[in-house]
Amino acid sequence: MLVSNSGPDATSRAAFRLLSEKLPGLTAIKGGTSAEPLTATEPPILRSAQIVEGSSLRAVKVPGVSRQNPSGFGAFLDGAQKVRVIGHDLGIPIVLGTVSAAVRVRVDRRLVTWGHQPPRVERAIYLPLRFLPQLADARTLEAFETAGWRAVDTSTADRNGEFPSQHPAVLVERAIRAVDQQREELEDRLAEAWCALGESPLFIDGGISRTPAVASSTCAVGVVKSHRTLYVDGDALRVVMGLKPGERSSVFRVSPRSRSSVLSWYLRQRTPDGHDAMWGLVRVEVSECDRPADRADEISRWILAETSPLALPDGRWDKMSYGIRDCEEFLRAIS
Amino acid sequence: MSEALGRVVATERKPNTPHEFHFWTAIDSPVGIGTIVRVDGAKPIDGQIPHIYGIVVEGFSYTDLQSPMHDVLGHDGLPTMAGYAATERAEIRLYTAAVLRQIPEEPLQPVPMGQVFLAEEADVQVALRMDGYLKEGANTGIPVGVYRAGGTDAVIYLDADFLLGPEAAHLNITGVSGLATKTSAVEWLLSSLFTHFPADKGSIAAVCFNVKGPDLCYLDKPGKVEEGDKALYEKLRVEPHPFDNVQYFAPYTAKGISLNTFRNNEALLDNVVPLTWGLREVLQFAEVLLNKDDVDAKADALIDFITQNVVDKEFSDPILSRKHKVQSFADLEGWFRDVLQGMEKKDGESWRTHHVATIRKVRNRLSNISTRCAGLVTDSGAVSDLPFGSFEDRTVYVVDVANLEEDAQDLIFARIVSKLREHLERRDLGVKHLVVFVDELNKYAPGDGADTYVRKMLLDIAERGRYLGLVLFSAQQFRSQVHRRVVGNSGTALFGRMDADELSTPGYAVLSPATRTKLATLEKGQLMIRHPHFTQPIFVRFPRPSVMQGREGAERYPQASEVSLDAAILRALRPLDPSITLPWVQEITALYTEEEIIRARNATQLARPENVKAYFAAQFRKILTAQPVARPMAATIKSAPENDPYGF
Repeated sequence: MLVSNSGPDATSRAAFRLLSEKLPGLTAIKGGTSAEPLTATEPPILRSAQIVEGSSLRAVKVPGVSRQNPSGFGAFLDGAQKVRVIGHDLGIPIVLGTVSAAVRVRVDRRLVTWGHQPPRVERAIYLPLRFLPQLADARTLEAFETAGWRAVDTSTADRNGEFPSQHPAVLVERAIRAVDQQREELEDRLAEAWCALGESPLFIDGGISRTPAVASSTCAVGVVKSHRTLYVDGDALRVVMGLKPGERSSVFRVSPRSRSSVLSWYLRQRTPDGHDAMWGLVRVEVSECDRPADRADEISRWILAETSPLALPDGRWDKMSYGIRDCEEFLRAIS
Repeated sequence: MSEALGRVVATERKPNTPHEFHFWTAIDSPVGIGTIVRVDGAKPIDGQIPHIYGIVVEGFSYTDLQSPMHDVLGHDGLPTMAGYAATERAEIRLYTAAVLRQIPEEPLQPVPMGQVFLAEEADVQVALRMDGYLKEGANTGIPVGVYRAGGTDAVIYLDADFLLGPEAAHLNITGVSGLATKTSAVEWLLSSLFTHFPADKGSIAAVCFNVKGPDLCYLDKPGKVEEGDKALYEKLRVEPHPFDNVQYFAPYTAKGISLNTFRNNEALLDNVVPLTWGLREVLQFAEVLLNKDDVDAKADALIDFITQNVVDKEFSDPILSRKHKVQSFADLEGWFRDVLQGMEKKDGESWRTHHVATIRKVRNRLSNISTRCAGLVTDSGAVSDLPFGSFEDRTVYVVDVANLEEDAQDLIFARIVSKLREHLERRDLGVKHLVVFVDELNKYAPGDGADTYVRKMLLDIAERGRYLGLVLFSAQQFRSQVHRRVVGNSGTALFGRMDADELSTPGYAVLSPATRTKLATLEKGQLMIRHPHFTQPIFVRFPRPSVMQGREGAERYPQASEVSLDAAILRALRPLDPSITLPWVQEITALYTEEEIIRARNATQLARPENVKAYFAAQFRKILTAQPVARPMAATIKSAPENDPYGF
């Protein structure tokens, strides 16, 4: 997932003009400030998982790994989002969010945009309407829509029926969460469309457990680069941190609440010598299958084959495959 | 309409301007250096969607790689591993194009963003402003070749008004030797010119000086035309045939027996005319052969005196032993001898203000000419020349000077061009437009060195020829070393494959590095063209000339070796009368000197009479043949009667 920021474009200026008409006290933030996704603020945790390959988690050398190994992935999926706080009305933040997602298919070793489902780009303006009643009429919201910005109310009650406070940080956090959800929805729709066709294995940046259709598809392979949640503890943690290049962990089952259960394992792509312990470490998610060890070996070989070419100059190149970098560059260009 | 093959892009670092723009294409697009493209603007200007035509002058390719080191790291330093990468890096083909034309032409604005299309034939005509002279009523287009890119085959036309005058004129060709560029291009262009030059613009002919090798010696013989070239000929609407009318001119060898040309094979002599000049023709151009040290003011004065008062006039003087009528070098020598003897008798140091030393020097130098230019200059004064005054339309006149000494080459060039100029000024050459082709301009019109007569003449043609209809087609290997006024006055310039050293000279700095690279690697049959209507150089292909190439001609028609006088006479006369045989020649010439026989041959060749045998025989002085004298019959002695008792 790509998080980026850029200066105002023509459509965001149009949105700001509309806001200025309705909110005389609106204060613009020059150039806008980018907002980081919420995941960065969640606390890191260790969570145990059910081992499905053997009785304890151990390091497994992926068999048959060589530079000549072909990759079975036929496409890559990633999403991107841009979140900007463009102004405030007496502290009430106004947030613009752009989300996008694309599948890039590999044809003759080159990546092109999937023709079946065009890349998606959606823009929205995130407004706490409860605190901005001047904007809460249907005509104003329609005017935003006409300007290319769907209005999203970030001040609705949560599932417990509680409304957010007027604290600006809370409202920004709400907006960011809404943008995250919007991006995930786009990614999920594309992933579902791909899995429905079942053309070839899809390399998905991130987990696959959000939707049952994707989580159960043999076409979907999720590769998770961030490890704020580690599905190991105790000795197992030491095993994972000690994985050598080309080694994977035993397969375990991840069953998050309100999500589908998937099989998962850790894979070390590059030697961590001289780097942090999670250098080159990814966690792979696939659907449940009969022979998880064989499946893990096969998918691991594919992922290792995707380490070339390097995803440099991206800072996450130790974990990122070039196909995902290509998706991000593509999304950066179109959104 | 074809599909878009690229998109215009511009950044702050690489902005588009009114004369240059950038665009990217797919990796496999057929765009290359020299490709002509069309940009369709997205927004109308003054109610008109702008169309911009450009030619690709530079290309860039790069990937998203930030440092080459990343690629090394990515493949563990092993290049062979690179081939196994599952994905190839994102790669860009970015091109820079120079604007050929913008429509509308005003207001002239930077090239807008828009889609880029491969130019089709109609686009090429507009882009190169050929539409102006290809439209009905103008029709002055002369096909020079085919522009070929990505499936587009477009004929490129030169504007006859800018190739042969009066708007601009002259053509210059540059290219390395040995790649059949310069001569082939001229042969092809003359074919096209003779085919397409509009009839309403008058007649046209060409005089080609063959200064080296046999390349121009077989213009009337068919050459091999390959299938690809046939298609080009068809596209260019030129028949792949040799020239219909070609006339060759060549002087004799020093001995004066056979013609000094690659084309002296008996099978080819039917249209080879000897080129011989006498005293009168040469004296007018004595300056060509005499260097500055020879011809000081005094010598010049004496030469003028001889030209005006002696040559072709009855000249008498008290010191002379007799009247002289000088018509040949032999006569002139006799005149000099008489003058000097007369001065010796009078013991005088000067005659008619000319010092004896000056007279001796001029005698020496002038007499020497017939030796230095033997074969061309005749002692006898016999003249065989180009048909000045009766030049024919669509005819090539080739003057073969390849085997001659430099002096003789210079003399031939200077006199022929002067005569052509004189006749064109008087409008009585026989044709309205004349192309003069001269190769090796590096030698004849160098940028540095002495200011020779020949260089002055070339400069004169280049600067003033177009007003007369005298057009210079010139060629050389190193354009940078030719006098800049000669090449500068050439409205049209063709470039074949170029030498890298030549391309590094300042004259080529206006070309992009990619265009220079393309010039250095051009194939046979490819040219880069500059023409007044084209705002940028264009690359074209032209067909191999449909005439026999020099090497093939030399193999098929080997040059005849020096033959006996009788055989040479037979060769010279047989094209005029095929019934002439060697025994007949031997019988007629048996009693005469070599000089008389050559003179008779020259006179017959010049006259080209109907009855060749009679004319040739009539050239000899009458010699009474020896007849056996009848011995007078001795009176018979009467025999004594048998019964004569005193008889014995």
